[in-house]
Amino acid sequence: MSWDWAYAWQIMPTLLRGVGQTFLVTVLSGTIALLGGLLIAVAGWTGPRVAQVCLRVLVEVTRGVPILVLLFFAFYGLPGAGLRPSAFLTGVVVLGAVYAAYCSEVYRGGLASVPGTTWDAAAALGLPTRVTWARVVLPTVLRANVGALANYIVILYKQTALLFAIGVPVLLTNAQVAGYESFRYLEPFTLAGLLYLLLNLPSVWIIRRVERRVTRGGF
Amino acid sequence: MSTVDELGPYLPNLAAGLLTTAEIAGASILGAAAVAILLGTLRAGRNTPARAASGGAVEFLRGTSVLVQLFWVYYALPSIQGAPRLPPTVAAVLVLSLNGGAYGAEIVRSGLLAVPSGQRDACHTLGLPRRVALARVILPQALGQIVPAFGSLAVDLAKWTSVVSFVSVQDLLYWGNTVRVQTNQTVPVYLLLAGCYLALSGAVALAFRAVEYALPISRARRRAPAPGRPARRAALVRQGRA
Repeated sequence: MSWDWAYAWQIMPTLLRGVGQTFLVTVLSGTIALLGGLLIAVAGWTGPRVAQVCLRVLVEVTRGVPILVLLFFAFYGLPGAGLRPSAFLTGVVVLGAVYAAYCSEVYRGGLASVPGTTWDAAAALGLPTRVTWARVVLPTVLRANVGALANYIVILYKQTALLFAIGVPVLLTNAQVAGYESFRYLEPFTLAGLLYLLLNLPSVWIIRRVERRVTRGGF
Repeated sequence: MSTVDELGPYLPNLAAGLLTTAEIAGASILGAAAVAILLGTLRAGRNTPARAASGGAVEFLRGTSVLVQLFWVYYALPSIQGAPRLPPTVAAVLVLSLNGGAYGAEIVRSGLLAVPSGQRDACHTLGLPRRVALARVILPQALGQIVPAFGSLAVDLAKWTSVVSFVSVQDLLYWGNTVRVQTNQTVPVYLLLAGCYLALSGAVALAFRAVEYALPISRARRRAPAPGRPARRAALVRQGRA
């Protein structure tokens, strides 16, 4: 069997719809990951000892179990609890939660490396706690860790392919459906792989530029 | 019927699945280590074409996820004339080794480059052949950084093996899904699965801790716990080397 351009052209619209869904999932899950991770890290930092331990255990479990297991657990387990979210919503939330756990570790490391003198200086200036966090500590942490956080978003983008497992029409799912309908897998999977690769390439370059710009400035 | 009664008959299947997962994970970790050493040393080396080629290979392999690559090798590759139809387990180990190896190559590269350049100069001054310098001086120091980082990659690989259930390899996740369909005990089944994967991740992490502990550089550090120079010199004097 050899490459069929006509067929490749014919399935392109389906694949491009998959690209759209892939981006949508990445943006939504990425937002959950970045904000959720920050929330976990700050809660773990300021909360009581019990909350800290609980959060650590939760984060470690989330990071130690394959995403597929969590995905299936949510997809088949939630209806038993009376909830019936769509596959799309389940996928977005699970991916977001997993990468929130990863990002929380980045934030935690960032918080730990804020020198004690910074807190002292904020206290000496009489800054309220909220201002200290929002204007002093978090900007420092974010600036120093933009690269690591962006890296996780790129990995998240690649892992959206896993949502194939619960039938969310991301790029890989659409490629599989196209191949299944015509019993030709060469063109859909090759094109899907190339599209994943092509869309991923600029991200590395963009991250490097953003990182350079943000970390260079200081205050 | 209680949960234990329902799941009981399937425990041998789940155990067999766990064994399959562990075997694939073990083979992939070894394969990834081999690929990582090959690509990583080329990336850190002096040969420009080899450096460019290995860099391209790393970016290519890291550009897509394991699942996409596995589907390509399993479904698309056989339709190319003359290409082999790989058994699913072989395809899975191949893809996991290559993908993990690409991530590992960066670990090996940065580990090799992190050894202070003075060490290289010293080898040169002493007239050590390049091969000896790499094997006896550079690598033992680089491994102190490479092994822990590769350990956490190995834990990731153990989790990534779960994608093989999509190409009908009967691994832990495959049996978990089968048992869920048969018994409808969704929550207990996946809790059991999560426990198994956590145990597997823990075992892999522990194995790499052991390797790290046995490394020459770790033994040297234990012998001279204070990183200051006088302590090291004292240790060398005691051994009659200085």
